[in-house]
Amino acid sequence: MSLGLPGHLARDSLSRALAFAGHCAAFACLAIMIVVSIIVATVGDQPAGWTGAALATVMALAFGAVALFPSVTLTVLALVVGTGVTIAFTMLVMEPGGFESTNNALLALPRIALLLVGGAGSGSLIAIVWASLGYALGEAAAFLGVALVGGAYAPSTAAAAAFGILLVVRIFDGVSRRSDPRQETGLHRASQQTRELAIRHDYELRATARLHDTALSHLIAIAAAGSGTVDDRLRAGIRQDLGLIVGRDWAIDHAGQATASDRGGLRRAAAVDESAPNGAAGKGRFGRRGVVGGATRSRTVPVPAEPRPDGATMLAQAFAAAANAGLDVRVTGDPDILHVLGPGRAEALDAAVAQCLINVARHAGVDEAELALGLGGGEVTIAVMDSGVGFDEREVPDDRIGLRTSIRARIDQQDGTVRLWSTKGIGTTIVLTVPEGGA
Amino acid sequence: MMRLTQQEADPIGGITAAPIVVIGAALAVGSAVALTWVHRGEVVSPLAAIIAILLVAAAGVVAAISAAPSRAPFTAERLWIVVTLAVGAAIAEYTSTVGANRYLYDDFGPVVIGMLILSVAPYCTWVSLALAGVLASIVLSILVVGASSYVAADAPVGALVAVNAAPVVALSAAAAGYAHAIIAETLGWQREANRAALQRDTELRAGIARSVQQSRVSVLGREVLPFLAGVMTAERISVAEADRARELAEELRRALRAGLESTWLDDLATSLRLARGIETFVDDPSGAADLLADDQRSALTALITWLAEPSRSERVGVSLRTDLDGGRIVISAVPAERPPAKRDLDRFIAVARAVSLGAESVSTRENVRVELRYVID
Repeated sequence: MSLGLPGHLARDSLSRALAFAGHCAAFACLAIMIVVSIIVATVGDQPAGWTGAALATVMALAFGAVALFPSVTLTVLALVVGTGVTIAFTMLVMEPGGFESTNNALLALPRIALLLVGGAGSGSLIAIVWASLGYALGEAAAFLGVALVGGAYAPSTAAAAAFGILLVVRIFDGVSRRSDPRQETGLHRASQQTRELAIRHDYELRATARLHDTALSHLIAIAAAGSGTVDDRLRAGIRQDLGLIVGRDWAIDHAGQATASDRGGLRRAAAVDESAPNGAAGKGRFGRRGVVGGATRSRTVPVPAEPRPDGATMLAQAFAAAANAGLDVRVTGDPDILHVLGPGRAEALDAAVAQCLINVARHAGVDEAELALGLGGGEVTIAVMDSGVGFDEREVPDDRIGLRTSIRARIDQQDGTVRLWSTKGIGTTIVLTVPEGGA
Repeated sequence: MMRLTQQEADPIGGITAAPIVVIGAALAVGSAVALTWVHRGEVVSPLAAIIAILLVAAAGVVAAISAAPSRAPFTAERLWIVVTLAVGAAIAEYTSTVGANRYLYDDFGPVVIGMLILSVAPYCTWVSLALAGVLASIVLSILVVGASSYVAADAPVGALVAVNAAPVVALSAAAAGYAHAIIAETLGWQREANRAALQRDTELRAGIARSVQQSRVSVLGREVLPFLAGVMTAERISVAEADRARELAEELRRALRAGLESTWLDDLATSLRLARGIETFVDDPSGAADLLADDQRSALTALITWLAEPSRSERVGVSLRTDLDGGRIVISAVPAERPPAKRDLDRFIAVARAVSLGAESVSTRENVRVELRYVID
């Protein structure tokens, strides 16, 4: 949305608006002429009123043409017609025994209309030229008309006042644009700049987030591994992601999704990553490498993080993620059942659930989700359900690490299973199951 | 469109038009005095005549004050106060010449009401202007019916009513026409501009995608990628490489955190700092700048950009604080040798108010402070 009119358009726009205002006033005058004429013809029982109404109608038609097609020819034509009508109307009104002079309210009407003809071209000067012409013609017509029937001519005070108002408005308009506060305020420029800043910021953030998602875990792994031979799995993981990063223009990836709300989502979701250094980005990668390399379950997660003390509030990460993402979570079942799991497994499950909730907040288009927890058959099962937009898992791009790695890999690593049902338009249900015990 | 005024759609136009209200008000008072003098022979109650002129003056003063940029936006009530005072003046004038009013043509009531309505056209919706004209005409018509028994003209009352209302009808038609046309012009342009802006956004995205390569994250990316590639193809990781990995990871985290915690407003400050050498600070702990609507952002950007001019300010600080239902933006600038004039600031204040930001400014020799408040729906 842009604010106001830019300086270069203000002149023409204001000019057109003022001309339109003039036309409205002119039509009001002509309408009153018609009304008065009809009243005089009917109530006053003077048939000449019909002639007056007809004359005013003709003039209104000519003016309508100018209002619609402001060309020089039509303007001149309207002036000629208007002058003729004014002469005839003056002859009608200035019957002997009527008004003392041509300076009266009735004869002011066609003359005011005539000076408000507007006309071709835009800008104050040309408008003043047309108005002056109309004013002069109106007075001349009154003079001529009254000379033909005999009576006293006097310039119309009302028409002069109307001409004065028009001059004041047009001159003011012309002068006030000189100082050009529009240029000075720079609103239009500011609007462009703001958009550009927002887009740029959005891109930077996306680029950073993508780099963060793709590279951070490898960097942490390298740092944690310290000096020594390069682990094959690390190598394979980097190779896989490097292909992803190098092979594409990661800055414009997902550009189509760039919206303000999306940015907000990113802000909140990534804040979760930050607040849980043990969470999504870091561990997700290791999870995947575990899958790629296979048989790595004995390997401990080398991310240096504050260990979650045993017996801490269960599903803390998940609830924090939901709160951060503004998601309402309804829970059925007791989160304490997670005590049957080892701390590492409980945490992996927690992180996976957190990622599920983040996905709901990001993609499902709803602001509530349901969490069902259960313990039975030697397994802990958590279902995350939403009635959001749903998706087709095959359509989720490979590089979207949320579902594939942050969720699936984490649970796989704990010998668990992830089952997912999603229907577009109906919602998504993810069931995470891990065996009791574990590290 | 029926609910929009020029002041709202084109705030700068509203500010530019402020003097015309003063001129219109002055002309209205002038007309009232002149016409009262012209028909002084008909005046039977000089007191009523004086009251009539005073009411016109009051209406003019209310109109002029209400339209001042520092009092933007011009609310609908203000129009009704002006019109009521002007109609009151017409009634007082009627009283002043009651029983002796030979000519309606020299009564100032209709023309003064019309002129005042026309003067405030940039600040009112066309509907309210037209309505004001119609209502004023109705009151005037009642007066004319009262006066018709002793006017000199021998015409049907209906004709007298119509002719007498002509100035109000014509001038308020002009006012409504102007308000309608200028809004149509402005909105038409805005549609066009928005279309162009969307088009430009697309081009910008492409352009920025390339230029992001110059940014901090790209520089970081360019360090990270070869590093990872190096590790991938290397036999061993050295201690230095492990340290480097830790450093890069830290940098990456920091970059993401900085990106998340900053907003477009920080970027604006950075660009002003770099381009103009003005110390520009943003203090926005909750990222409130992202909550502002596009127009509000434009207004804020325009104000900050205007303030952060080396001749105008030495330092510009912007602080955003949110509370439960909205927030407060305080922009404070330390004036330089050519301090921001109150008049110019008022322009921005009016623009801010047009985009539903509550705005106040306080200027002293040491400090220019503008406070904007917004409400989150």
